Amino acid sequence: MGAGQVMIKKFSDSGGLNIAVMIIGFTAFAYLASVNKVTDFIIFCIYVLGFDLLYGRMGRISFGHMLYLGAGAYGAAMSAKYLTPDPFLAILMGIACGATVGVLLGPIVVRTKGAAFALINVAFNQIGYFLVLVALARYTGGEDGVSLKFSTYGFLNFGNVHFLFVFCLCSLLLVYYVMQRLKRSAFGALLAGIKENEIRVRFLGYNTLVYKWIAFIMSTSISAFAGTLFTLNYGFTNPSFIDPARNVEVIFAALIGGPGTELGPVVGGTAYMVISNYLARYITRWELFLGLALLIIAFRFRKGVMGSIQDLMAKRAQKT
Amino acid sequence: MWEVVAYGLTIGGILYIISIGFSLTFGSMRIVNFAHGLIYAVGAYALVTMLPLVKGNFLLAAVLAVLISLPVSYIIEKFVIRRLYGKSIDYAIIASYAVLLMGVDLIKWIWGANPLPLSDPIGKNLAILSFEIPLYRVVIILLSFLIFAGLSLFFKKTMIGKIVVAGLQDREAVQGLGIDIDKYFAIVFLLGSALAALGGMLYGPISTVHPYMGFRVVTLCFAVVIVGGQGNLRGTALASYVLGMVMALTAWFWGPAADAMIFAVMAVVLIFRPIEF
Amino acid sequence: MLLSVEGIDAHYGSAQVLHNVTIKVKEGELVCIVGRNGAGKTTLLKSVAGFLHPSRGSILFDNEPMQALKPEKVALRGIKYVWQDKRVFVDLTVRENMELAAYPAKADLDESLERLFSISRKMRTQLNSKAKGLSGGERQILLIGRALVGNPRLLLIDEPTEGLAAKVIDDISRILIEMKGRVSMIVVEQNLAIVSQLADRIYLMKEGNVLEEITERNLILDQDYIESLL
Repeated sequence: MGAGQVMIKKFSDSGGLNIAVMIIGFTAFAYLASVNKVTDFIIFCIYVLGFDLLYGRMGRISFGHMLYLGAGAYGAAMSAKYLTPDPFLAILMGIACGATVGVLLGPIVVRTKGAAFALINVAFNQIGYFLVLVALARYTGGEDGVSLKFSTYGFLNFGNVHFLFVFCLCSLLLVYYVMQRLKRSAFGALLAGIKENEIRVRFLGYNTLVYKWIAFIMSTSISAFAGTLFTLNYGFTNPSFIDPARNVEVIFAALIGGPGTELGPVVGGTAYMVISNYLARYITRWELFLGLALLIIAFRFRKGVMGSIQDLMAKRAQKT
Repeated sequence: MWEVVAYGLTIGGILYIISIGFSLTFGSMRIVNFAHGLIYAVGAYALVTMLPLVKGNFLLAAVLAVLISLPVSYIIEKFVIRRLYGKSIDYAIIASYAVLLMGVDLIKWIWGANPLPLSDPIGKNLAILSFEIPLYRVVIILLSFLIFAGLSLFFKKTMIGKIVVAGLQDREAVQGLGIDIDKYFAIVFLLGSALAALGGMLYGPISTVHPYMGFRVVTLCFAVVIVGGQGNLRGTALASYVLGMVMALTAWFWGPAADAMIFAVMAVVLIFRPIEF
Repeated sequence: MLLSVEGIDAHYGSAQVLHNVTIKVKEGELVCIVGRNGAGKTTLLKSVAGFLHPSRGSILFDNEPMQALKPEKVALRGIKYVWQDKRVFVDLTVRENMELAAYPAKADLDESLERLFSISRKMRTQLNSKAKGLSGGERQILLIGRALVGNPRLLLIDEPTEGLAAKVIDDISRILIEMKGRVSMIVVEQNLAIVSQLADRIYLMKEGNVLEEITERNLILDQDYIESLL
């Protein structure tokens, strides 16, 4: 192999190819469609990446992840409203909020798996929704939510559509990169082991509870990060960011993209956003369609788009 | 004070009727059946539709509504549950969730997204001690006791019941005796679904009939199962009434917190009794 | 040949647990399967019983292939499983345990109960108590009684003497010897003294393979020899 070929291989192995695809793809999409909308798509993909950390990498499906998105969204909003309208602090506070929720709920949640894990997240989501909608309505604005104005620093202006796009895209790439490093690290291998056979990992002497907890905190933090970005993107926050009914969105996205694959969450997130934004215009009963698609995935298309592509490529590699 | 108790028993009774099917399916097939919530909603919507057709005869409408729900649950059991349970339990939960989603949208399509009114079919109150309670609520409480007694008898005295009890404990041993346990679990599934439809109908007049009622009830059922133990008749009953009381008490102090309180209780139970499945 | 297991491979997920296993049981025989923990003995029984379907090979019962049958169908063909760990239905009474066995086999309950009592007179007094209250030995007897309902041709017996006191082990051993000739049996056992008393033939298993078949009487009686092979 020539030096050039080695470099290309290293580039694509380290996920460089995927990064390039994402940059080019989203930028092109943004200018063909609408920069604002595509920014929305990108933020959603970050959320799906956070979700997939638990689902694809650790084998635990949560049906209540909106809680963590909402924690970030409201964390950022409350910071901007009651502390200072500084957007970067808002982001940090939002992530901290998500991380705190992860730290507090983790010990309860990660002890469960399968159906219990799925539903206990729903239950906490409902509690969170109630808190935001009713209990703390005085601070959160209840049903109406809160509108925010963020301070700007020269070109660091979250009111500017283009800046937002670049910032969010960079955030996505950052999160993607972190996920990649994680996958190749010892921690990632441990999570994969837990997904396959937790008991065996425990027998090897690892305290799986701690590792699951850490993964959980990472997932909630990333989801919260997405939440903060939504708040910045929209300039407001309201209970729809923590609404348990919207959990189907991220579940569908993770599944159709390909759970556990590198690009799966991004593909799936984009797919869902495209469907809900564009298909919904043509088909009024698109939610019925979504449910049907989910059903078909559960029966016949479990690996999702990226998973199936990976399988195809592996088969082709076997033949040569 | 007594009103709260009565209210709690009513909610508890309905929770029991709805949850027992969910608990049995969970205990026998290890599947979280979201579609259970759909049957619950179907029961309520079928009742609303039937009532004007039978000129307001609640009893007849109720019977018809349960009968309508049976083929729906049969189809779900045959084409979704049975195909996935055993080998693909993780996907069963997604599939049942998908079924619920589809069902909710179909309901919105047929009946619209707005809540439908359903009034107290009896409309009279019963005077006990120092307060009055709607007779309808008393009927619900009595009905739930009756169903509990009926189910207890069923599981203790009938052959089917004993097979199911044994199967919940030790599925392989039952198969090893030559019994096709799947068939019996399917019967239990249908029975539980019919009860869910009944629960939907009974609860309709007290709360609202709206397309998303199914989602809410599934999480409540799950809370009952966590607190009471899955597949456990007595535990489900106890948990239902306890949680019903919790809801009533919470609602008395702070209405909207009722649901959230149930989940808080569930979380506490999970801390002290973590489940592994 | 009553039962002929030929070259079966079995997997739990991606892990292979049985490799090219072949065993045969003649009508009226009592064959013992011996091996350390994890050798695949229970897996073999489960494969015969239909709980695990082999990925390769065949299982013939009375010359009829049955490796793809569901467990309840296997049971109805006349093969009954006597479970490890004394697994009875603890919340049901002794009588109800037997009832459940008699139902699918369409057997006469009273006749089956009488047979249970002939094995152990004590069961008559326990008839209406919950199986939860039975001792280990009594549970084992109940399991055997349950399995005998419907007059099966072959019993798969998994570690019947495990965890039992010496006197009870003798009782169980005696019961099994008495059953010889009337029903064929495959017995998984770790207690080599019992194996020597019971077995017409022995298969040794190790790590999912059948190592050896021992047919000579004096070798069956030689526990040290068997021990050395494991």
